[in-house]
Amino acid sequence: MGLLQGASELFPVSSLGHAVLVPSLLHWSFKQSDPSFVPFLVLLHLGTATALLVIYREQWVVIVRGFVTAAIRGQMKTDSERLAMLLLVGTIPAAVLGVFLETRIKTLFASPTEAAGFLILNGLLMLGFEALRRRAERGSSRTEQESHFADAERISFRAAALVGACQALAFLPGISRSGITIGGGLLAGLRHQEAARFSFLLATPVILGAGLVEVPELLKSGVPIAEYAAAAVLSGVAAYASARFLLRYFRSGRLDPYGWYCILAGLAALALLHFSL
Amino acid sequence: MRSNSIAVALGVLGVVFIVVAVLYALGVLQILTSTTSGPHYKHAVLFVVLAVASFVAANFARPKTAV
Repeated sequence: MGLLQGASELFPVSSLGHAVLVPSLLHWSFKQSDPSFVPFLVLLHLGTATALLVIYREQWVVIVRGFVTAAIRGQMKTDSERLAMLLLVGTIPAAVLGVFLETRIKTLFASPTEAAGFLILNGLLMLGFEALRRRAERGSSRTEQESHFADAERISFRAAALVGACQALAFLPGISRSGITIGGGLLAGLRHQEAARFSFLLATPVILGAGLVEVPELLKSGVPIAEYAAAAVLSGVAAYASARFLLRYFRSGRLDPYGWYCILAGLAALALLHFSL
Repeated sequence: MRSNSIAVALGVLGVVFIVVAVLYALGVLQILTSTTSGPHYKHAVLFVVLAVASFVAANFARPKTAV
């Protein structure tokens, strides 16, 4: 589970959807309605967040410093200060919606069929984002096409808030947080690689925050903590490798392959669930 | 958009968020929570973040004196 979550969390294919679907399809003895299921997933997410913190450790130091400086001064003067404020603006909608929609979302976790449906929707969204993006592209080579788009620091505050709000959709199993935020970044005019960077930076505080407040519940629930912690470490290692791969991939790659994968995986899951295979 | 009144309003909003955070942490406030008893730390942390954001926004909205 740890490897699965870590590997699928940063890929735009919905780790949550896979975490709900795969155990159900493989008949793993994992009760998705169990009260420890969500905290367990959150613990795996903490492994992912740690991997992201390691990858972006130098940037986070600059961002935190930029945040404090700009907050005290009441003005943004550098790119890192602007990025810090963009991340704050992007994090708030996801945090508000996440906290207040928690109960409703937990009930959705129990249904693999809904997860499969959302996975198909996620795939359609990925293809839609790329179709809209292609309209705005100029030039023949991928390098030329990407060169007309901006860095993460140049995204508008309104777009950052919108991308942040879209993150809340990822609480639905099957909708990918990274997919929806990378897609939002593309629509806001970012290069693919920069959209991925903004998505990963935006994900870190939400995942960390959600994880830290859920861990005490996990400790209380009487689950095998050592086993869960090992899964979190595996999740972190897989997430680290995934992030490295994706940042390289998005230099010229697109969301399309992941979109098609989600549609096919969702359809296959629906068929398997329908025929109870 | 800089004005003293906006800055003051955002500052007051920040204080309100702090109060709400404390009430959630103490378990006094039970609005929009999954359980109806006990403290709600997740809600409390959220309102602390909102308070910080409000204070930062208040400082941004405050008119700056020219040096």
